[in-house]
Amino acid sequence: MSRSTFQSGRSGKGGAFVSDREGSLHALAMRHSARALAPLAILSIWHIVGLVGKPYEAARAELARPLPAIALIAFIAVVAYHARLGMENIIEDYVHDEALKATALAVNKWAAIAIAAIWTLAIMIIAAPR
Amino acid sequence: MADADPVSESLAAARPLSPHLSIYKPILTMMMSIAHRVTGAALYAGALLLAIYLFGLALGPSAFAAVSWIADSILGRLFVLLFSWALFHHLLGGVRHAIWDRGLYLDRDGRELLAKATLGGGLALTALLWIASALFG
Repeated sequence: MSRSTFQSGRSGKGGAFVSDREGSLHALAMRHSARALAPLAILSIWHIVGLVGKPYEAARAELARPLPAIALIAFIAVVAYHARLGMENIIEDYVHDEALKATALAVNKWAAIAIAAIWTLAIMIIAAPR
Repeated sequence: MADADPVSESLAAARPLSPHLSIYKPILTMMMSIAHRVTGAALYAGALLLAIYLFGLALGPSAFAAVSWIADSILGRLFVLLFSWALFHHLLGGVRHAIWDRGLYLDRDGRELLAKATLGGGLALTALLWIASALFG
């Protein structure tokens, strides 16, 4: 994140309350990804609820079909981006210690990527021809 | 901050913070705002649990036996039910933000209507999904 020193009338020289000047892009990225997620989420939750109570073979057969597989992979790809940005907002709002905040943001980044990677790999294995 | 001097640091520490949630009377639009954030965070955790379920399903029958509770047990069914509700609630919360972004429904009656529509719509869509899934799934 870019930071610059800023002369504040109230707190004097310092970076504590300086904007990182990324807020607008962050807010727009949330909205752009949300737009893609709306239809993908409806498709995906239909297939996820369809898994409830299904035994192994039936659940595999359900997700091996092209449309559920593609929908679930597209869904988690956009979720990884949207959820990461949303959790960044939460961390920046509640974690005020600079070092802890940096750690939390890094953990959040890799957690979002890891969830999407595990999810995508699982669907690819399930949907691969046997 | 590396280049902040001690005086501004102490001034920064003395600067009052907003008293935050505890002093406000709970009102519907505020509760829906909080619910949007809480459902968002819950969906993050839920996605991890679903990823574990899918990975178990991908690895084979013995791995699936270890994770099948996520979508099969009473607790698992409750999780999927709550996940689907949180998803719909959060989705409608996003629609509400999209409407506000266009400058619409920002007046008192409008925002109250949207708050009620988010709450009711999320519950209604969840019920609809589970009924449709039981009938056609």
